[in-house]
Amino acid sequence: MTRSGAAPLLISTWLLVRLRLRRLANQLMAGSQRGKKTAGKARTGNAGKRSSKVILYLGGLMMLVGFGTIAASAISNLHHALDAPDTFWVTVEFSTALTVGVTFLVLFLWTSSLLLTVASGELAKPDWDLEWLITLPIRSDTLLWARILERSVVNPSGAVALISVCTIIAWFSGYRWTAAIVGVVAAWPLLLLAALVRTLLDTGLRLTLQPGQLRNLHAIISVLSIVAMYLAISMGLAGKSDFMLGVAATMPDWLVYTPMGLTVRAINERSFADAALWMVALLAQVGVIVWSGVQLLRHQLRHGVIAGSARESARNLRSAATKARAATGVSRLGSLFSAVQLRELTLLSRDRSFLVQSLVIPLLIVGGQVLLGTSGVATSMWKDPNVLASVAFGLAAYSLSMSAFQTLNTEGHALWLLYTFPHSIEAVLKDKAKLWGVITLAYPTIMFAVGAVVAPELDWKFLGAVLTAFLGIPIYAFIAVALGIFGSNPLEQHQHHKVKPEYVYLYMMLSGLYVYAIVTPYPAQRLIFMVLSLLLAFALWQKARDQLPYLLDPDASPPARVSTSDGLIATMLFFVAQGISAAVIIGRGRVTGATLLVAFSIGGAISYALMRYVYARAKTEGVPRILSAGPNRPVLGIAGGLAAAAFGLTYLFVIGSAGLLDDVSGDSRSFLSLGLWAIPLAVIAAPVFEEFIFRGLIFGGLRRSFGVWPATLASAAVFAILHPALAILPVFAMGVCAALVYERTHSLLAPMLVHAVYNACIVGVPMLYV
Amino acid sequence: MIEFLKLTRTYGDFTAVQPLSLTVQRGEVFGFLGPNGAGKTTTIRMMMGILVPSGGQALISGLDCHTQRAEVQRHVGYLPDNPIYYDFLRGREILQFVAEMHGMERAEAGRQALRMLGEFGLDDVVDEFAVNYSMGMKKKLGLACALIHDPEVLILDEPINGLDPRAARDVQERLKLAAASGKTIFMSTHLLDMAEKVCTRIGIIHHGGLVATGTLAELRQRVEQNASLEQVFLTVTEEAAAQAPNP
Repeated sequence: MTRSGAAPLLISTWLLVRLRLRRLANQLMAGSQRGKKTAGKARTGNAGKRSSKVILYLGGLMMLVGFGTIAASAISNLHHALDAPDTFWVTVEFSTALTVGVTFLVLFLWTSSLLLTVASGELAKPDWDLEWLITLPIRSDTLLWARILERSVVNPSGAVALISVCTIIAWFSGYRWTAAIVGVVAAWPLLLLAALVRTLLDTGLRLTLQPGQLRNLHAIISVLSIVAMYLAISMGLAGKSDFMLGVAATMPDWLVYTPMGLTVRAINERSFADAALWMVALLAQVGVIVWSGVQLLRHQLRHGVIAGSARESARNLRSAATKARAATGVSRLGSLFSAVQLRELTLLSRDRSFLVQSLVIPLLIVGGQVLLGTSGVATSMWKDPNVLASVAFGLAAYSLSMSAFQTLNTEGHALWLLYTFPHSIEAVLKDKAKLWGVITLAYPTIMFAVGAVVAPELDWKFLGAVLTAFLGIPIYAFIAVALGIFGSNPLEQHQHHKVKPEYVYLYMMLSGLYVYAIVTPYPAQRLIFMVLSLLLAFALWQKARDQLPYLLDPDASPPARVSTSDGLIATMLFFVAQGISAAVIIGRGRVTGATLLVAFSIGGAISYALMRYVYARAKTEGVPRILSAGPNRPVLGIAGGLAAAAFGLTYLFVIGSAGLLDDVSGDSRSFLSLGLWAIPLAVIAAPVFEEFIFRGLIFGGLRRSFGVWPATLASAAVFAILHPALAILPVFAMGVCAALVYERTHSLLAPMLVHAVYNACIVGVPMLYV
Repeated sequence: MIEFLKLTRTYGDFTAVQPLSLTVQRGEVFGFLGPNGAGKTTTIRMMMGILVPSGGQALISGLDCHTQRAEVQRHVGYLPDNPIYYDFLRGREILQFVAEMHGMERAEAGRQALRMLGEFGLDDVVDEFAVNYSMGMKKKLGLACALIHDPEVLILDEPINGLDPRAARDVQERLKLAAASGKTIFMSTHLLDMAEKVCTRIGIIHHGGLVATGTLAELRQRVEQNASLEQVFLTVTEEAAAQAPNP
């Protein structure tokens, strides 16, 4: 027999909260299990392939701070917009107008966080846990109360938005270090209201709507939630807040008597008695609302908990389908696509939330960034083709991260089917990469068409930018699919765990590097970056191919090994880090030997440290070492260096007799003008960082799948194209020597010596003569 | 036709399949029997290239199931224990897709799919989304997917597990037909009467190791005359449990 009264309510609320928190904790713990030996029970399930969730913790903290900052500037904006110009900002008592304005802000944040919760939450999932909870021996209204209370406590996005804004209001009302406590206490009634509305929506919609309608609604809500979030954020941005401040000014005074208004009043009131009075009024109001809400919920559930089937029936579409089939059998358009591509397009046309996620949300997010960004991208975009091309590429790259990156996740639990076909999985993935590479070209095509109409002039610069972006997108479609192989968990039930965030960030970072290729003013650098990106796509694809036999394996994965793609990523990172640090150090000053050395070393150190960190995390085999256990053979290195230098100096001599020496000596003179700083740069920094990347990672990675000579020549070629045109041949020869020496010694010391000796000779010998 | 050469699989420290050597001849209907968690599904998934063997090899028609997976699939039809299909696709569309992936022309694949679904008694639901199918319908659709390219070998994981009596009977009839037409069938099951009715030879696996193989008659001899397969199964797995160092 169930007891009535408060005890079962508290107990069941506590049970539900604990269950929810336990689930959260289990999910987080599963991440940190990695690498630990589990004694006793030997079967470890999926733990071997998980990754840590440190990024999530950091992200949460950053969100809290970020929202606080935005709320603070939003309130100050509201003060400037709503209060008379001569009133002084005394941070104690809000005027009526400001109270209404701040109430509007809280209302807006409350609404958008609610939308966000609904959009990311239960609506999309076919199963419904209330069906299970209702079988527990608890009275149904106790259960409903418990559910609402539980959701008021466990609601991360609501907590981030409301606690931060309430804390800031408390700060502006004169509270200091207690502001955070006041913020938490004051936010709770609002979170309770949010929990009620969420439960009402969740229950009511499930009972009245077909699964198909529910999914469409979910797609609409997820779009709305992003728009609402951007509008809320815009209130806190300088120069972007006019629209929302205008809306705030039209808000009626009675808004103060809504729960949001009472919350603002209660926080702002400095006398304790008055504050308590407002708080009581607030609690009474929220209490009445929640009580009525629970009655409504009981009414909704009067026929019991009836959930629809997993998916709407497709039979009502049958007549149309039968007709279409009878007419042609196969449509002409369809014959353009392979079976896999046609299936992907069918899914895209039927699954609204997939469509919205992959094609609409990127548009909203990038559009929002462009409109709200402070750098004036929105206006300069139509004047500067480089900005236009960067935005267009960014949009396509983002869209690829939601589509091509997710290829395995769209297969989901049906992935087994791919293993029953007489095709390699790789061929199927290639089909998908091609499809998405073409679909996402739509955005840049439209943007460039508009750009071509508005552009001040259509010149080579415009054409170059367009071409770079256009060529980049198919390359990044392949990169996205390849990284998606590593970054997805197709068998996970929960949407949030299907993607490993670190791989999404890696993909984002790589696409960011490509933007450098679009904006750089030097055509040679642009070409180098495009070639590097193409090589990277090949290398990542090769690495992903190692992974394919293991996709459905819960336990085994191919051993982590150094690969060519690591070297290429490190190279690009080196380039960009060096460029940025040089820009920061030099500023408007003159390039000197010292700044060049420092920038080079910072770039090298960043890429070196990052690679070593990733290798240590993944317990990678075959990380190149400077000293090996065996003989390091420094003499071999010096001999190799002398051989390469002999070739280089002969080359200089031949070029000199051919009358081209002016160029060369001009080059070396400008290098020598760097003074003595050139020596540590050429003899220490360059050998150390460059050998790690080009011999250690790129040659080592290539050597895994190729023989000595192909690997040697390819790695030397990549190394050579990164150098000035006249130096390409001797540098190539040096790369060959270093690779051969590395092949013999398996330690980096000898190739570093090759590099150092070569550089010393090439820089030093002309120094003696010129 | 099917050959295991010391096929092994471990999960961490746990050995799911001990070195397993076995040959199944062309035209045999081989029943792979064992309690839950004995390693049946792991073995079958290695045959399909879904899991990578920790050691040894599985060969079908002389082709390695791991390194030559795509080649092997030309000869093989597969039904998993719990077939899950793409969301938002109709039964007809899934079967057509599978047929196309096996190299059929799109229009031909569509016609073939409809014909197969009719044969399997799924006419009523050809245009329903496959995720809404009942378990019996899903298994029948899976069997249709496995048979659409007319393979020489059928690999079936618990083909009638979880089906109602009528659906189970339908599936058994289908399998007998397939066997009569000369296909080699390798199926796992823990349903003994099913094994008794359909299989020509039986292997019993327990704790990842093969503990007995032979025709039904041979296995009966091991225990006593006229013993039921159930008695055989219980005796053999008990013996194995007694011998196993750490059950």
